Amino acid sequence: MKILVIAEKELKEYILKPGSISWGIIFPLVFTLAFAVRFGDVDHLAPGLMSISILFGTTSFVSSSIIFERRLRTFERLLVAPVKRVEIVGAKILVGTLFGLFVGAVSFLILRLFMAYRVWNPLLLITFMFVSGTAFSGLALWVSLRVENPINAMTWLNLIRLPMIFTSGAIVSLLLFPHWFIVVGLITPMTYAVDGMRYAMLGYYDVINPIYDLLVTVLLSMLFTYLSVEELRRLY
Amino acid sequence: MEEGAVVAEGLTKRYGDFTAVDGINLTVKRGEIYGLLGPNGAGKTTTVRMLTTLTQITSGNAWVNGYSVREEPLLVKRSIGLVPDVSNLYDELTVEENLLFAARLYNAPIERVRELIREFDLPANKKFGKLSSGFKRRTTIAAALVHRPEVLFMDEPTTALDVSSARNVRNLIRLLNKEGITVFITTHNMIDAESLPHRIGIIKEGKIIAEGKGRELKELMGKGMVVKLLVEPITSKLINEIEAYSPTFDEGFIVVTVEDVDEFLEELFDLKMRLGFKVKRISTELPTIEDVFVELTERNGCSCGGCPL
Ligand SMILES: Nc1ncnc2c1ncn2[C@@H]1O[C@H](COP(=O)(O)OP(=O)(O)OP(=O)(O)O)[C@@H](O)[C@H]1O
Ligand SMILES: [Mg+2]
Repeated sequence: MKILVIAEKELKEYILKPGSISWGIIFPLVFTLAFAVRFGDVDHLAPGLMSISILFGTTSFVSSSIIFERRLRTFERLLVAPVKRVEIVGAKILVGTLFGLFVGAVSFLILRLFMAYRVWNPLLLITFMFVSGTAFSGLALWVSLRVENPINAMTWLNLIRLPMIFTSGAIVSLLLFPHWFIVVGLITPMTYAVDGMRYAMLGYYDVINPIYDLLVTVLLSMLFTYLSVEELRRLY
Repeated sequence: MEEGAVVAEGLTKRYGDFTAVDGINLTVKRGEIYGLLGPNGAGKTTTVRMLTTLTQITSGNAWVNGYSVREEPLLVKRSIGLVPDVSNLYDELTVEENLLFAARLYNAPIERVRELIREFDLPANKKFGKLSSGFKRRTTIAAALVHRPEVLFMDEPTTALDVSSARNVRNLIRLLNKEGITVFITTHNMIDAESLPHRIGIIKEGKIIAEGKGRELKELMGKGMVVKLLVEPITSKLINEIEAYSPTFDEGFIVVTVEDVDEFLEELFDLKMRLGFKVKRISTELPTIEDVFVELTERNGCSCGGCPL
């Protein structure tokens, strides 16, 4: 499998690009810190804030790497090599996920300072962080390949990820909104990540059974992988 | 399976209504250097991109090393190297890291990287983005060779290089070809076209309008000599009179191909008497690939480049 070879190269090349640093590290960590300091109930907020960190970490990293590669034409280095499309997509998603996990972990360390309880199930938490990372990376990859002009990818991503902060119940539980809003929550991919992480950290769930959270998030990862492979097929 | 290192049959690429490459047929023999020569926008890059699986073929098909580009793209990819018009290496990685990455992508042995760095005399630890254009091109060529491809595609390999770097690259191409690699180059550089390829295809508006050995292409111009004239003033009357020679224009010179120089001079002298222009300079040369190229790609009423009227 060439996934690891490509992934290693990507990490070397893109970790210090401005796109991944500003939107991928600084924004989510400042966001986390602001909420942690301002609001009391950090234990209940932590899963949402960590999801936001993972969301921004993964999507910023993935889209900035694909934007650079397509613009500089280095992307064609991969396309002309005997590598399957799914391996290229897999590598992009893997590095995005690793980057997102890193941002999520830093976010957790900040939140840990303000939390009253211990994490209920650390292993489940890591599992949820990982599958959320793959789903978000896949989403970002698909959107970045889909947009005609790669420079617009960040704008499109913000149109998707900023509303998701609210419609996923990351900050305010979906149960506090009018009933119809739950429908909006259920069609937001990030809802399942937030809900699953909340269960892993606190041991109870708001809306959805965590089994479904896991299932939906894994299915979303597969869906976006598939869509990205198809998009590559269409583009080249 | 088709004979030949590269075979294209009715190869076509359309972007919407626009046909960039229009039903190209060509065969590149094993061990040959084939040059695709054409003006800007003729479809050279698009042809290379189709042959190297980088862009979908709209219709027709091509075979590289006997593998169908449409049906067996992975086998095609494994047996070719590509030096694109814009380098595809990573600025942030060093020369060595770039080559190592290429080696891993192709499952080539790691020793091959050291070998290429030595052979190509490359600065291993310098970041690719910091290299001069000449070294960038050399490194890009080296990276295309890590897996010892049988066919090497090069899109304008000497463009944007200074005279000595361009000469270096040409020597390199000859050397690689001697080692048995089939080379497919595109160019609009006349020095490349004159000295590198065993055979040349001239492409214009997506179609191959002539193909053959350099000598054969020159014979298309007839057995004639190329006469270059600088006269003053150039009038439409004069141009009408010599229309039979289908003149082209090059930096103020009138360029015609004639079978019989003596006869042409007689006629010119006669015209000079009648129209009263002055002949400032005159030269006769054997036709070059450039003459053939200009003849075939620019001849089209007065759309020819540099027509003074
Ligand atoms: N992706 C694309 N979409 C639309 N048109 C395209 C695309 N790529 C190329 N073309 C058009 O196809 C034609 C052939 O382009 P191509 O790049 O193959 O020419 P070329 O012979 O390589 O020219 P040059 O010498 O400038 O490199 C041009 O008119 C170009 O504008
Ligand atoms: Mg070109």
